[in-house]
Amino acid sequence: MELKKEKLPEALALLQSDARLFLPAEADGLPQFTVWDGKQAPCLSGNPPLPPKDVLFPRSEKMYGYNLSTGDVADLASPEKQVIFGIRPCDVKSIEKLDRAFLEKGYADSYYRTRREQLTTLSLGCTEAARTCFCESMGLDPADAPGADLMLNDAGDAFSVKSNSEKGEAVLARWGKLLTEDADKDAKGAGKDVSVHCAFKVDLPADLPERLTARFEDPAWAALSRACLGCGCCSYICPTCYCFDIGQENRGAEGTAFRCWDSCMFSDYSRMAGGHNPRPSKRERLRNRYLHKLAYFNERYGTTLCVGCGRCVDKCPAHLDITKVIETVGGER
Amino acid sequence: MAKKSTAVHPAAAENVTAENVPAAAQAAPAGVRHGCTCEGNPLLPQICRVIRITQETPDVKTFRIQTPDGGKPFDPMPGQLAMISVMGAGEAMFSITAKGDDWLESSIKRVGALTDALHGLAEGDLIGLRGPYGNHFPVDAIKGKDILFVGGGIGLAPVRSLIRYALEHRTDYGQLDVLYGSRSYADLVFKADIFENWPGKCNTHITIDNAEDAWDGHVGFVPSYLEEKAFSPEGKVVVLCGPPIMIKFCLDSLMKMGFSKENVITTLEMRMKCGIGKCGRCNIGSKYVCLDGPVFSMSELDELPDEK
Repeated sequence: MELKKEKLPEALALLQSDARLFLPAEADGLPQFTVWDGKQAPCLSGNPPLPPKDVLFPRSEKMYGYNLSTGDVADLASPEKQVIFGIRPCDVKSIEKLDRAFLEKGYADSYYRTRREQLTTLSLGCTEAARTCFCESMGLDPADAPGADLMLNDAGDAFSVKSNSEKGEAVLARWGKLLTEDADKDAKGAGKDVSVHCAFKVDLPADLPERLTARFEDPAWAALSRACLGCGCCSYICPTCYCFDIGQENRGAEGTAFRCWDSCMFSDYSRMAGGHNPRPSKRERLRNRYLHKLAYFNERYGTTLCVGCGRCVDKCPAHLDITKVIETVGGER
Repeated sequence: MAKKSTAVHPAAAENVTAENVPAAAQAAPAGVRHGCTCEGNPLLPQICRVIRITQETPDVKTFRIQTPDGGKPFDPMPGQLAMISVMGAGEAMFSITAKGDDWLESSIKRVGALTDALHGLAEGDLIGLRGPYGNHFPVDAIKGKDILFVGGGIGLAPVRSLIRYALEHRTDYGQLDVLYGSRSYADLVFKADIFENWPGKCNTHITIDNAEDAWDGHVGFVPSYLEEKAFSPEGKVVVLCGPPIMIKFCLDSLMKMGFSKENVITTLEMRMKCGIGKCGRCNIGSKYVCLDGPVFSMSELDELPDEK
C-alpha cells in the first residue's frame, strides 16, 4: 500500500482526531518532536536533535498525589492515547530497549507501561544519513524499523506503507480510502527505491562487553574523563538513557510526587546521606555510564544500550561520545 | 483523591507470596513480581502511622510503623527493604529490622536531611511507606546450619530481622551466635534484645571499642573479638553487616579462620530512588542493589566490579 504525499495532512488529521499526535516540526526555532497543531509542516528530512523518548518517559511527570489528613494516595498515571509520526528506525529501536528496562526483570514500571500500551509508532525510513549516523554499525537498517507499528518509506510522490502490528493495521483501516495500491511491488516495503548507508562506521568487536569489563581499571577511563564537563547533555539527548529521580512537592497536608530525568554523570547522582559516594569522580561516572551501555545492559538484557543515532557524537561539547569510548577502551590491544 | 491505598495484597492474585520470592542466590524471575501493596503500581506508597519511637542511641531511633487502621503495612522477609518518606522532605530506602503481627520496624541513624526529618517525627505522625523491595536472606538455603551473626554499629539493624526470624523458627537452625560491637555502650543498638530478650535463646557476644567505667563486658574491635572466639566454620553460615572497614577486617579474620566466601552473607547500601531496578543509581556492575540485593554472599560480590 502507499500513501500519496498530498494526502499526508489528511492522514495526520485522522491520527490526531483521537490521539495526541507527535511529529517532527519546527518549534521554538528547532526541529523537534512536538504535538501537531494541525497546520505545521512536518520536518521530513534528518532527525531532530532530541529523541521522542519524552513521549513515553516525560522529562518530568506526576506520579501520585497524597493527602496526609485523609490518608489517600491517588495514582496519577496517564492513560492518554499517543501517536508518533516520523520517528526514525534508530529511535524506534531505542523504544524497544527502553521496553526491556522498564517492563522486564521483576517489576513493570506502571507509568511507562500505561503510556507504552497507548502508543502507536509510525516510522519513517531514512533517505539520507547524517555524518554522525552509525546505526548500521549497531545492526540497524536505516530504512526499516521492524519494531514500529507502521513503516513508511519515501517512494517519490508517495510513501510506501507497511504494517508490523495490530496497531499498524488499525491505522491502515483508519486511513482506508486515502491509501492506494502501490505501483511496483517488491518483498520489502513496496516502492522502496531508496538505498541509504551510513558513511560513519564504528568497529564493534563481538567481545566488546567482555573487553570493556576486563578493562575496568584501564587508565584510558581516567584519560577520557579529563575532557568531560559532567554536564549530562549526553544522557538528556540519548534516546536510550532512562535514569530518573523522584521528588515530592508539599503544601500543608497535600502534595504530589513527581519524577524527572536524571543523569549518572552528575556528581550527586549516587552520593549517599553522610557523604559516601561509590562513584566519586568523573572517571567512575563516565566508566559506569559507558559500561552500562556497552556491557552491563548486555549482561542483563542481551543487547547493547545504543542505537547509533549519533546525537552524542554531534552534541557532546567535549567530543567525548560513545564511539570514542568504544575505540579508545574497546580497541584491539 | 479517588483511590485509597490499602493493605490488600495483589500478590495473592498472582500466586506470589513472601515465601516464594526468590532467595539471594536465585535470579529475579521474568515478568512482573508483585510482593508489594501497590495495587499494580510498585512505586505507590501507602500512608502509615508511626506508633512508637524508641531512642536506641544518641543518633539512632527505631520507628514502629502501622497502617492507619491498625494493620501491618505488608509482610516482608528478613533482609528486605522499605522506602520511607516524610512527605515533602523526600524518601529513602531502609532495611526493615523487625515485623510483628500488625507493625513493621525500621531503625534509622541520623545522617542527613531526610533522616533529620524522620528524627523530628513524633509518635502518631504520618509517613509514606512502600515496599517490600529487594531479595532477602536465604532463610531456606541455610536451614539446618549454625548461624553466626556479626554486626557493627547500626549494621545490626538489617541483621536483626534474620535473628528474630531464626528465633521464631528455632528448630530450623542449629547454634545461633550474635557477635555485636559498637564504639561505646551508648552506641549499642537494640539493648533490650542484646541484653534481655536474646540471651538464653542464642549466644550473645557483645563488645565495645574502648573501656568504660560502667562496662564489665568485652572491650575491643569486632574483628579481633571474632578471632578470639575462634568459631569453627564447620556447618556455619556468617551474616555480616556493619561499616565497610569492619566488613573488610572481619572478612580477613573469617578467611583466616577457615570460612569460605560462599558462607559469608552481607547486605549492601547504595543510594536508591525507585526500589524496582529502573532508576539507575544503585547498580554495581549489572546488578541493582534494590532488586538483586541487598543481600549478597561475599563470593557473589567478588564477581561484581569494585564500586561498593
